[in-house]
Amino acid sequence: MRRTGVAAGAVATVLFAAAGVASGSEDPGRATAPRLEFRPPPPGSYHLQKIQSIADAVLLDSTGLSVRLSALTQGKITLLTFFYTYCVDPLGCPFARTTLADLHDRVAGDRALAGRVRFVSVSLDPTHDTPAAIASYGQAFTADPKFEWRFVTARRVPELLPVLDDFGQDVSVDLDQEGRATRTLHHMLKMFLIDARGEVREIYSLAFLQPQVMFNDIKTLALETSPSSRPDSGTPRSSALADRSRQ
Amino acid sequence: MRIHRRLILGLGIAVIMSVAAIGSYADETCNSPYMSGLIKGQEDFVHVWTLGVPGMGDGSDKLVTIDVTPASKTYGKVIHKISVGGRGEAHHMGFTDDRKYLWAGGLDDSKIYVFDVGTSPSHPKLVKTIDDLPAKTGYAGPHTYYALPGRMLIGNLSNVADKGGVTGMAVYNNKGDFVAKYDMPASTIKQIKGDGYGYDIAVNPAKNALLTSSFTGWNNYMRDLGEVVKDPEAMKHFGNTMVMWNLKTMEPEQILAVPGAPLEIRWALPEGQNWAITAAALTSQLWLIKRDAHGSWAAKDVAAIGDPAKIPLPVDISITSDAKGLWVNTFMDGTTHYFDLTDPEHPRQTYAKHTGAQVNMVSQSWDGRRVYITSSLLSKWDKTGKDNEQFLRAFHWDGHELNSAFEVDFTQERLGRPHHMKFTANPQRVASLTGASLR
Repeated sequence: MRRTGVAAGAVATVLFAAAGVASGSEDPGRATAPRLEFRPPPPGSYHLQKIQSIADAVLLDSTGLSVRLSALTQGKITLLTFFYTYCVDPLGCPFARTTLADLHDRVAGDRALAGRVRFVSVSLDPTHDTPAAIASYGQAFTADPKFEWRFVTARRVPELLPVLDDFGQDVSVDLDQEGRATRTLHHMLKMFLIDARGEVREIYSLAFLQPQVMFNDIKTLALETSPSSRPDSGTPRSSALADRSRQ
Repeated sequence: MRIHRRLILGLGIAVIMSVAAIGSYADETCNSPYMSGLIKGQEDFVHVWTLGVPGMGDGSDKLVTIDVTPASKTYGKVIHKISVGGRGEAHHMGFTDDRKYLWAGGLDDSKIYVFDVGTSPSHPKLVKTIDDLPAKTGYAGPHTYYALPGRMLIGNLSNVADKGGVTGMAVYNNKGDFVAKYDMPASTIKQIKGDGYGYDIAVNPAKNALLTSSFTGWNNYMRDLGEVVKDPEAMKHFGNTMVMWNLKTMEPEQILAVPGAPLEIRWALPEGQNWAITAAALTSQLWLIKRDAHGSWAAKDVAAIGDPAKIPLPVDISITSDAKGLWVNTFMDGTTHYFDLTDPEHPRQTYAKHTGAQVNMVSQSWDGRRVYITSSLLSKWDKTGKDNEQFLRAFHWDGHELNSAFEVDFTQERLGRPHHMKFTANPQRVASLTGASLR
């Protein structure tokens, strides 16, 4: 599989960055990378739950223009995650970047998915991740002109908060001994797989960031809307499974 | 919300380091292994989901919070309680994936209460009541609440049609909206017939494995235990199977014969381990569920718990974070057992102590140094008379002996019957001397 410079850079970051450690009794310990000790079910052999719809919001794109969240979460299969440009925890944003770079390669290499998948990265820090900052940050990721990878931020924090609430993305900031905000931001790494109608169909926290499984999930969603252009392996059983889950 | 204020404050600063979500080997109270905010040090609070008793206090089911911070002036005391305004057979509870909310349910009324324990763990707040489980699924008796990313997988015990043990699992998103349902298999898979019963659920993400166990339906668990055991027909209606599911497809792949009502399930989650363990209540056996060389799962009884002939009734287990030890509570003889699991094929009991006239749940801290025990099994199954002790007892464990730390008498405190326990830690301590600024 082709490996991009983005992935290599992310790996380097992983190797050299130090993990943050919370203080006090709520000691999360050191994060561990996900393991894959099974053969992922083939695409189309299962049904992904319809977990939730997404409330619309107005964000800022990397050119400084307002953009509706719905425009970034509908019309294509979307993998959305939250990030900030200076996040260095090895199993936080850098790990997410590595995972996304891997998935980009897999998607780009699958002709049936051409033009049908996008990635969206939403900054958790509107104050410092300005449109210019995310544009600069995103340059390395958006070098593939055939692939839509959008980086967005918000005009102000209050405009971001409803989005975080809606996705259930927890975020908190440590304070120093004087009660001032520090530079430590806690967030549970999650990625959200969204179908072309804008429904969240899978959520991946760290233990579930298994690229082969995620890729099969993307192809499973693609099969739902394009039965005539099913990607390769697997025998679709979606209708039976849909009956089974009775959503 | 608190996190919003914290976020606004924090984003005024130029550089932020991340502490991301945590994947860990196990959990201090056997929760979902991939949750954030596991407490590896000293827990500050123990929350106890407590059955209401008519004429005792307000008679309602309630979430009771006990301060367990050693240096606190209120150490070992009840510092908060929140009633849900009814009595629905409070039983188990589970954290959401971000550990901000605690879902707690009633086996009788099938209601699910969502408590906010993240904003102020010392003062949980009831923020939502979910009452559509029977209507959406046909199931009844929500038992296990197991966090999946962004949603809750709920294992049930019964159904609304005949109140027997045939049931299934329900999925709700973290907002409390119904997502999907999955019937427990009653068909035959690989020559073993399912009974359709349910109880506990436990996930191993690295193996894409979801393991379920089986107990009994409303007709039995809401009936006097003495009557049930004397009724041969009723005794036929206990689960005798476990099911290995494909977590991604939510399809049952294997049914395992595990007679005698296999209850709580604990995975050994350290890397390289390939097994889970459970205790069968009626036969008083530990069962090992292990993958063989061909990739199939096999169930094997590996140790007796107490004297099975006396039906000690193992009711809860708690695995150590390194999966090398297991606490087991047996209800009838009020005994807390410790098994050495270094060789999971041959568990060895290395310690036992009579900890009460009746004991039910057992939860240990991540470091294994503290063990908490509660007394109540079910409102209709608890002992009567002087043996109806209702307590939470906390112990220090030095590897050789359980030494009493404190006790809360739930009858004397007019609280009810204590059942399931969960731990939280004070966020002010995480933020260090910054509590005032958070408010």
